[in-house]
Parts: sequence; structure tokens; C-alpha cells
Amino acid sequence: MSNKSKKWISLNLGRKKEVPKASCGCGKTSGGCGSNSVEDQITVDEFNKGAIDASIGDERLKDGFDQVFDVKMSRRSAFKKLTASLLIGAGAVSTSCSVVAGDDAKEKAQIDWEEQFKGNYKLMNDDEKKATVDRLMRSYELRTGKKISMSSKNAEENVLYGYAFNISKCQGYMDCVNACVEENNQDRNSQMQYIRIHEMKDGKGFNFNEADDNYYHEVPAEGHFYMGTQCFHCDNPPCVEVCPVQATWREEDGLVVVDYDWCVGCRYCMAACPYDGRRFNWSKPEVPEEEINHNQHYLGNRMRKKGVMEKCTFCVQRSRAGKNPACVEACPTGARIFGNLLDPNSTIRWVLENKKVFRLKEDLGTEPKFWYFMD
Amino acid sequence: MCSKKYFINKIVCLFILGFVFFSCKHGESEYHGVIDKIESESKDYHGTSLSSEPYFDGVKLIEITEGEHTFLVPERKSAINMFSCTECHTKPLAQMQDGSNKKAHWDIKLVHANQNTMNCITCHNPDNMDDLRGLTGNQIDFNNSYNLCSQCHSKQFEDWKGGAHGKRIGGWAPPRASMTCVNCHNPHEPHFESRWPARFNTQKVIERE
Repeated sequence: MSNKSKKWISLNLGRKKEVPKASCGCGKTSGGCGSNSVEDQITVDEFNKGAIDASIGDERLKDGFDQVFDVKMSRRSAFKKLTASLLIGAGAVSTSCSVVAGDDAKEKAQIDWEEQFKGNYKLMNDDEKKATVDRLMRSYELRTGKKISMSSKNAEENVLYGYAFNISKCQGYMDCVNACVEENNQDRNSQMQYIRIHEMKDGKGFNFNEADDNYYHEVPAEGHFYMGTQCFHCDNPPCVEVCPVQATWREEDGLVVVDYDWCVGCRYCMAACPYDGRRFNWSKPEVPEEEINHNQHYLGNRMRKKGVMEKCTFCVQRSRAGKNPACVEACPTGARIFGNLLDPNSTIRWVLENKKVFRLKEDLGTEPKFWYFMD
Repeated sequence: MCSKKYFINKIVCLFILGFVFFSCKHGESEYHGVIDKIESESKDYHGTSLSSEPYFDGVKLIEITEGEHTFLVPERKSAINMFSCTECHTKPLAQMQDGSNKKAHWDIKLVHANQNTMNCITCHNPDNMDDLRGLTGNQIDFNNSYNLCSQCHSKQFEDWKGGAHGKRIGGWAPPRASMTCVNCHNPHEPHFESRWPARFNTQKVIERE
């Protein structure tokens, strides 16, 4: 990555080749020589104690208001305090520069720093995308000792993804939900699910208020039909419009995606979505290590954190490789059809042109790319 | 003078009206809806670099052409354990059923239409067990057994050819490989069993209480 095109600043912590060589006269190239580095000689505890002494000094002996109001403040002491607080800040950085900390810790600090100040994925060029994905893979390896593969594959040209759902075929087995959770590393504690299967009474129309999306009895139940909902990847997505930080957007191939590192968790998008397609991580998502899907995409199933939105991505890590989303592959009834809307010979196009298809809440103008049809 | 002023007013009013009506945000693209977009953008479609081939996982596929659709289906004969049938069926069926032979195919239960409509020889050819037999008596290869099903299930057959019925093998990307009827339906008991859902969300129950 060229430094000129960087959209964020880097500190280059822990990079040995960049340790200044000429700053002291003793000839040592690393670790400091003692002539200008205080931190290296004293332990962290001693350093902190010293720093606190310097910053608050005799105020430690005072209590409550007195600490703040009953202070002799000269210019000299004000400068002293300022320097001391800067030193405390530098202490954090010194961990990553310190000779005591291992190379791994330094690298981790370096990665964390660069990840903290990286830009919005949407604005990154391919090199920057690759760099952040490499960092995330390395960071995972440093933390867990296990390797993952993470892709930053861009949208393919001449592709617009579309989905069709056959209401007469779905039997409510929920194999799709299972496959989705396993594929996309969703939080096991809160049992987050992107797909909802609504059990609807025959003859009542599409009545979502009376439908049951959490049934547990033998299926298909007599006198009921099943209708699945998930993110519809609208072509005119209202969730994208309301995002105050542009952490969610529509990709060229029609996928509506989220940059989990840019999301601030305001949940405007959740409120804007007319289809209940978005999910929020109220707690830190947890997946047992042995169940983690290691084939990941930056915009897809990589591990999320607390306080960010997520949703169905049509399994971007699979679909951009030419595979079907996990739900399509898992469905034993063939009720789910996925494909390229721009390919006139694709099966999804045949469905749209030959079956009687409809979409949910079409009058809203959201243009979902998720059609329903019947046999 | 007055009429000129009136005229200018009129133009300004029209302009404002026009601005109000035509500046409404209607999506960011030049198309009215996604259908328009699909239609116009697929006119110069020239393929993608993606392929389903890496995901066929060694499934033996054969190419078939039905109507205007050409696609791949799994080869069937190599998937049948007891093929070829004539390895056991050395004599005509009537002679084998005289009681001198061990009973075979005891595990096959025919739950497909009713007894008046179908029995074994509606599909199987008693004179040549290695082939299937259509309603008119013509021979149908085991690899093309969908032609047998399509005799009654013509609507499903149309949907299957187009891709609205059945499942794909590999991914969405071309070339298209589709399962045939017998890959999902047991031809002797073609219906799907009812069963329990794969998952129950206990957290959702707690949240909604």
C-alpha cells in the first residue's frame, strides 16, 4: 500500500527497521541506551507511580472538592501536570514499543492501531481492502492461534443477485435457518437468526400479525403454509438512506452490506427496514471455536462485535464465489431459487418471466430483489 | 404592462410547480424500477468469470436437452446399487415369481397414486428390467427417468425444465446442473414426510414473554 493514498494515519509501532538509530550516541540500535529513555529503565509500576505523583502530587492527601478547588496553581505546576498526563498517554504507547513486550504483542498493538484508524470499507481501494483483510486474519491468528481465510472479493461484473421463494414448496423444516446460523457465525447466546419462517393459516392471506415465526411441532401443520423472510436486498434500500455514517450500502451486484467496523450501532436502519431484515448485536456475539466458519468475507460472515448491525448478505462469501447461499443449498424442498438476474438464461430469470411472482410491500418502492411465487 | 407582469408570474409559478413535481427523489438510478433495470442491463449480457464447475464434487453428470433447455443432470444408472437389473432378472418376471426364488425387493413399498392407476409395470418393463417403460410402451432409459414422471406430472416437468422446481447442484453460476426427480423423490414413495423443524429458538420465546 502506498503511503500517499492512505486515508488514515499509521504509527508504525513495533516495526524494528524504523526504530531511530541516530537519536543516542551509544550505538545501540534497539532498547535504548539510557541516555534519553526513562521508561526503559524503570518498571511499569514505578513509572505509573511517578506519573501519578507528578500529575496530582500533594492533592492525593486532599479529599473531594478540595482536590479540585484548593489547589495552588502556578504556571510551573500547570506545565508539570500537562507533561505528566502526556506521559501517562505515552505509557500506553510504550507498551507496544517496550522491549519487555513480545513481538506478538507489538504486532497486535500495531494491527489494533491501524484497524482503529482505517477508513470506511466502501471508500477503500482494492489494496486497502486487502490490507485490512490481511490485518484481520493476522489479528485472529495472534489472538486464537487459528487461521481463517477472509476475502475482500468485489462485486462481479454483469451480476445482479436475485432470489425467489416458492410458497407452495416450503414445508417449514427450518433447515435453512440452521444452515444460515452455521454459515454466518451468528451469535449463539442470543440465538440470532436472519431468516424467519412464518407459519400462516390457509385462507387468511399473508397475515404476519397472526403468523407464528417460532413454531415447534411436526411440520407441515395441517391447514398452514410457510413463508420465509430475510433481508430482501432492496434495489432502493431505505436502510441505506438513513444510515448517518454510511456504514451500509448497496454493492454493484445488488447486495446490501454492512461495514461492521464503521457501524456506530444507532439502529436507524433497523427502524427504516419495512421487512424486519436487520439484526442488532445487543451483546458480544459468541460462537464456540469449533463451530466457527473459517471461510469468511469482510462484508459477510466475519466475526462481529457488540453494538453493530448485521443481516443476511445472500452469503456474500459464497455467492461471489459462484455458490448458492447456505439457505438455498440446505433447503430440502427446492423452495429457494437464487441466481443472476442479468443472465437471460438463468433459472431465476425463468421464474420471474414464467411464474406469477410478487414481492412484499411493493407499493413502498423499495424494489426488493426477493420474489415469491407459487406452483 | 400589467399583462406582462401577469405573464412573468405565470411562468414563475409553472417553474415552481414543475420543480416540485419533477425533483422528487425516485431512487438514484435512471430506471423506474428494478425490473426495468434488469431488462435493459441484461441486453448486452456477456457472461461472468464465475463457474459452478468447481462445486460439482465429482458427481457424474450428463447433458440433456429438453425443449429449449439444455443442462446437466446426475447420471442415474451408476447410482443404483443393484444395477444392472438383468444380473438377477435373468428370466421373464412371470417365471421368477413362481415361488422357487428368494423374495427380493421386500423393502420397496409402493405409495404412489392408487392401485388402479399404478403398479410396478406402469414404469418398469417386465420384458427388459434394465429399461423403464412409458405409457405407450416405448423404452425409457434410467438416466432419463424424468421422461417417465413427466407423463403425469407435466406441470412440474415444465417448472423443472425452467428451474422453478427442484434443486441445483453446485452453485448459481453456469453451467446449470439440476437434480432430477429421483434425486429428491423416491419414485416408489414420492411424497415428503412430515417431521420436526430443525431448530427452535428458545431465546425468542423468552424475549417475547
